[in-house]
Amino acid sequence: MQRLKKFFFHFFIPHEENNFKARSLHPDFLGFYLILALVLTFSFKQMGLNNVLGFATDITTSKLYELTNGERHKNNLSTLTYNDKLAKAAEEKANDMFIYNYWAHYSPSGKTPWDFMITSGYAYEFAGENLAKNFLFSQGVVDAWMKSQSHRENILKKEYKEVGFAVVNGVINGEETTLVVQMFGTPSTSLATLSPPVIAAQEPAPTIGEEQAVLAKQSANKKISLPTLSFNVNIVFLSFLLAALALDFYFANKFNIIRVGGKNLAHFVFIFFMFLGLLIFSRGAIL
Amino acid sequence: MTEIKKHLFDYLLLVTAGIFFLVALNIFKGERFLEFIFLTSFAIFYIIWGVYHHVIEDSLHLKIVIEYILIAFTLVFLMKIIIFPN
Repeated sequence: MQRLKKFFFHFFIPHEENNFKARSLHPDFLGFYLILALVLTFSFKQMGLNNVLGFATDITTSKLYELTNGERHKNNLSTLTYNDKLAKAAEEKANDMFIYNYWAHYSPSGKTPWDFMITSGYAYEFAGENLAKNFLFSQGVVDAWMKSQSHRENILKKEYKEVGFAVVNGVINGEETTLVVQMFGTPSTSLATLSPPVIAAQEPAPTIGEEQAVLAKQSANKKISLPTLSFNVNIVFLSFLLAALALDFYFANKFNIIRVGGKNLAHFVFIFFMFLGLLIFSRGAIL
Repeated sequence: MTEIKKHLFDYLLLVTAGIFFLVALNIFKGERFLEFIFLTSFAIFYIIWGVYHHVIEDSLHLKIVIEYILIAFTLVFLMKIIIFPN
């Protein structure tokens, strides 16, 4: 305990033995942090490329579905049923944006979101679409949609009965991009009764009553999340630096220490803005 | 607090740059390349600010410049993990 106390004192409190500057802020330690950051950058990149961890975002269709219905429940609206045809249409839409390099509701060739629904075999009475790109977390996507009036109206439209999501990674304009497509629909009553059961080519098709089980299965298969890990690493590291600077600044002022070195207050301001920037980086764009 | 009073203009300049950085990020949310440009620009501005501040204060030393560079680039690399994960 005594050793730990001594280590903490040496590491964070400026005094004679550490040349009147917290050891954690000495240039050799700052150099070590830079090397650590470089190692982390390349390790995470390698893990992403080798698919050791999940891809660039922590967004899952199951979480989006849960959050969307959560927002509807808060507003006393009915639960949306997960529809595979809508999910397929959403995936086709995302793939189309990657293939034709655009980020819009309507494709450059004039294809509408409704075309994808029709192609996937979904006959609708009402339909809607929300788009998002480059978010890190599902919560961020739904929060951003709820803050935008038009997207909010889509989520809370009482006419909608079903929903489908797609989260697809690809490249748009040379940039690694994660697209989220949310498609809403109300099946056309007459056609819905005539439509055959859904049979997907690659995996067993869920019936409407089984959607929770299918979504749960998707969640269970999820790998350790790379974005959550990297985001937390950033938060921990920035908090550590801010705490070290604050302690050093406080005790240097308290003991009236005058020394050669950078300004702690300036470092603090810079890291604080980076901290806020990190929160913005985790949010993407909606359309 | 005396540090702020003594160099009010310098700190206002740094805070203004920080606010511009956040506003730019907020406007171009989701545009990963632009976000990285803003991040690098703010980090470089911070290093220049450090040099300028210590020149004005007549306390510039190589050790100080290295300190600003190390902090700035450590954060740039850490943020890069979020902006360009793959």
